[in-house]
Amino acid sequence: MIILVLQTTGIMMVMGGVLAALLVIAERYLADYGECNIDINGKRQEKVKGGSSLLSSLNSRNIYLASACGGRGSCGFCKCKVIEGGGPLLPTEKPFLSPEEISENIRLSCQVKIKKDIKIELPEAIFNIRKFKAKVSSIRDYTHDIKELTLDLKDSSTINFKAGQYIQLHSARYGKVKQSVSRAYSISSNQSSTDLVQVIIRLVPKGICTTWVHEYLKEGDDVEFTGPYGDFYIRDTDKDIIFIAGGSGMAPIKSMLEWLLEINSPRKIFYFFGARCKEDLYLTEYLYEFENKLADFEYHPVLSQPGEEDKWQGKTGYITPYLKDVIRDSKNTEAYLCGSPGMINSVSKGLKEYGISESDIFYDSF
Amino acid sequence: MKQTPDEKKIQEKMQPGSITLEGFLGNDNRHYHEIIEEDLHLLNNLGITKEQIADKLQDITDQAFESYDGIITLENGAIVEYVSVRGKVVSPFSGQKPSPKGFVKYYDPQRKISISWCPLNIQMIREFGFFEGKGSPNRLDPDLIFKLFFA
Repeated sequence: MIILVLQTTGIMMVMGGVLAALLVIAERYLADYGECNIDINGKRQEKVKGGSSLLSSLNSRNIYLASACGGRGSCGFCKCKVIEGGGPLLPTEKPFLSPEEISENIRLSCQVKIKKDIKIELPEAIFNIRKFKAKVSSIRDYTHDIKELTLDLKDSSTINFKAGQYIQLHSARYGKVKQSVSRAYSISSNQSSTDLVQVIIRLVPKGICTTWVHEYLKEGDDVEFTGPYGDFYIRDTDKDIIFIAGGSGMAPIKSMLEWLLEINSPRKIFYFFGARCKEDLYLTEYLYEFENKLADFEYHPVLSQPGEEDKWQGKTGYITPYLKDVIRDSKNTEAYLCGSPGMINSVSKGLKEYGISESDIFYDSF
Repeated sequence: MKQTPDEKKIQEKMQPGSITLEGFLGNDNRHYHEIIEEDLHLLNNLGITKEQIADKLQDITDQAFESYDGIITLENGAIVEYVSVRGKVVSPFSGQKPSPKGFVKYYDPQRKISISWCPLNIQMIREFGFFEGKGSPNRLDPDLIFKLFFA
């Protein structure tokens, strides 16, 4: 009897497996959804062949949503609002969406398959995002683990970005790495230089993309990236500015300072850069020069663990306690933060304690 | 071993160069299911659960994170440092939220034992009982964890 039950169960499992496989094959090779229309914001219509994901269909029409996993449903970056035609929410999307986002019909575009006409909403800024081909014209070592890449755009392309925004750099295959990955890096160059971008990249131990940049990428190599992304940019107000950064977080702040200099900004500006010891500091002389160029600017490097050999006479410890000395009017001050999550966490808490409103604290939540 | 398409994907994502440079399996040739089974069996024998381990690691991680990338000393004398890195890392398992990329360095000066872990380790232990394969640079051996935190 037991053998009979086991045999029957086994047969049913095999049949189930075969049916599932047939369904996958049929879906892949036989299902024909024909031409479908993507209605974007009720203004733009894109005809695509049905059967692909919304993310890849948009990419094929040169519309690029942020994505770090290449559409594998594992990064949760490619969110967009689907008004109609997206089908049911999938279990693979739920971990990435808050209850509010689910109620607002936000979906992961890589998980939404286009099977019929679909209506979506995208922020207008998305249409400025493009794919670029570039040549690595220079690689500059800033510290033992930080490099700056200069990427000259090919094919006479130009990029329009706001200082503070970022690109997604696509790595090449190398060694054990069999597929390209995309990683976000803030642009460090001036927004008025539209034929190139510079990025500052810190080596992450065993990181796929940063290992490629630090150990495999050479001057003269071709690379691809998409961008610009992000809403980390200087707000157009006359409030005092406090910049706080650490490590490769220097990148967007450098870009912002260069832009503020270019527009002769009269705003009062402080820049606190945190590092462990002197060897982690870079661009120091360059940044001090801004004190003579900008109308009202102070640069303050702060070392948390200076060694005796550093003979450091500047500020030490954590940045946060120094901030209260430079806040003239907390209601009239904006803070722009870029660095490790630990630094952002600690500094934002401090800023709020000193009276800076949460809405005046800006940072990239990479 | 028969695998569902999802399990096959997970096993692929655990290989070196897919999500991380080193992968999650080390020189362990077993399927990830077998690695999990053996480690959960070991936990059962030790009388602790994967959730207890995840809670302990999370508690230390939170304390270290609050120190703003500094070094803290715990009540038991252990020295802990949170090295935070920008960005997030995805899990090889389906349907999981990406974890912060930082990692924790833990040193017990009495026993002279050092270990390190990242938030993704905690998530994989809590949700699946996956401590990584033998020989993986990020494997947290359940025996060692037991000795350090529960013995």
